[in-house]
Amino acid sequence: MNELLIKLAECIEFGKINMASPYPPQMKGQEGADEITRRALEEGVPPQDILSNGLMPGMERIGVKFRENKVFVPQVLMSAKAMSTAMLHLKPHFLSGAAKQKGTFIIGTVLGDLHDIGKNLVGMMVEGNGYKVIDLGTDVGSDKFIEAVRQNPEAVVGLSALLTTTMVNMEKITREIKEAMPGTLVTIGGAPVNNDFCSKIGADNYSPDPQGVVEYLNSKIA
Amino acid sequence: MIHEISYSFDELTLDMNYLSAMLGFADGVLPEPFDQYVAEAIQEAQSLCDIRGAFYISEKSEFIASNSMISIDGIEFGIGKTVAKELRNSTSVALFLCTAGKGISQRSQELLKGENPVLGYVFDVLGSMIVESAADQLQKKIGQIANSSALLISNRYSPGYCKWSVADQHKLFSFFPPNCCGISLTNSALMHPIKSVSGIIGLGKEVKFREYTCDLCSQVDCFHRNHQRVGQKV
Repeated sequence: MNELLIKLAECIEFGKINMASPYPPQMKGQEGADEITRRALEEGVPPQDILSNGLMPGMERIGVKFRENKVFVPQVLMSAKAMSTAMLHLKPHFLSGAAKQKGTFIIGTVLGDLHDIGKNLVGMMVEGNGYKVIDLGTDVGSDKFIEAVRQNPEAVVGLSALLTTTMVNMEKITREIKEAMPGTLVTIGGAPVNNDFCSKIGADNYSPDPQGVVEYLNSKIA
Repeated sequence: MIHEISYSFDELTLDMNYLSAMLGFADGVLPEPFDQYVAEAIQEAQSLCDIRGAFYISEKSEFIASNSMISIDGIEFGIGKTVAKELRNSTSVALFLCTAGKGISQRSQELLKGENPVLGYVFDVLGSMIVESAADQLQKKIGQIANSSALLISNRYSPGYCKWSVADQHKLFSFFPPNCCGISLTNSALMHPIKSVSGIIGLGKEVKFREYTCDLCSQVDCFHRNHQRVGQKV
């Protein structure tokens, strides 16, 4: 594999944003995701290869480490920042069709709930694994989810909740999404929910961590 | 009678080992840029925070029904069997709320959504530490009042933990004037500012304070459990 893509994957995994970034200490003074992505494009590496063989493997590795409690939230945020910096270079290629994302993921924290760190982490991880992410924010009701699915009929929907009082809203939102747009897949997550609750409310998947969402999406639409 | 107290940032005890560990550096050595982020957040938090607490001690509490409910001044709380067992020997209870103020929550949210999510997360963890430390101070104050009557206090327990429904926040808040300490409650029982804590403490001659209570609760990701986990690492 292209040496640059191996380095790029490493930058994403360890959150090395650019040359100026002092983090991580062992990569201080080295090029980061910013410079390497730019260089790869200049050297003619296809944008799709940069995404599939550079950025995505790095995000997958950090996702697995997070699931295994080997890294904490800030390390994931650093990786996501490195990823988004690289993506700025790739964006024109997505628009021109030279590189394609795997699919679309619509995510939001359900009505009544304002917690968003977990939801943001899932969004970043999913985006870093090659999907277009539409983040509807917090306190989101059925109407907003349904409208987003109407505009992106192939999208999978992710619902997040952190409170036992708001997880109950997942049931109504899931039911209304499926009534309005039959066949739409709904995955849920958040501290109070589990597989049993997922089955009970008619959602299609529960993941306890961001990487689980990526794996679910890969199994369904990639 | 409602007792209200304000705390300055300097009155709180913040465990920097916990902060380092929550940022992923259990050895306590923060690399760049985390060292600057922490310094910046601590510096800014001193002016951002509006740390306040309030408590109410009821003499009219009794356990009722299925050993999982308590009636406080005639209002019934479904505290669950675990909390009820811990409070069983109480002769009175204190209800409390406290907050780090909206400033630190807002700053954290802005950064998380925009320019610097990592710094936003540092503010978020720091906000949790501040409000828990304020709750420690409040608990200490309640302990002093209890001691003056030769009583002991239990640990503090909050709606949302140990199978005590978070919906009971509404009942708990009904003991305090609206917007007490600047804290309000949404319909879904979410406190505003987010960095706020509420709960109950038992008082009595026979109540026990436990050093470790995470084994009572099934919540896997909360401040207390993380603190215990980190304490074992550092």
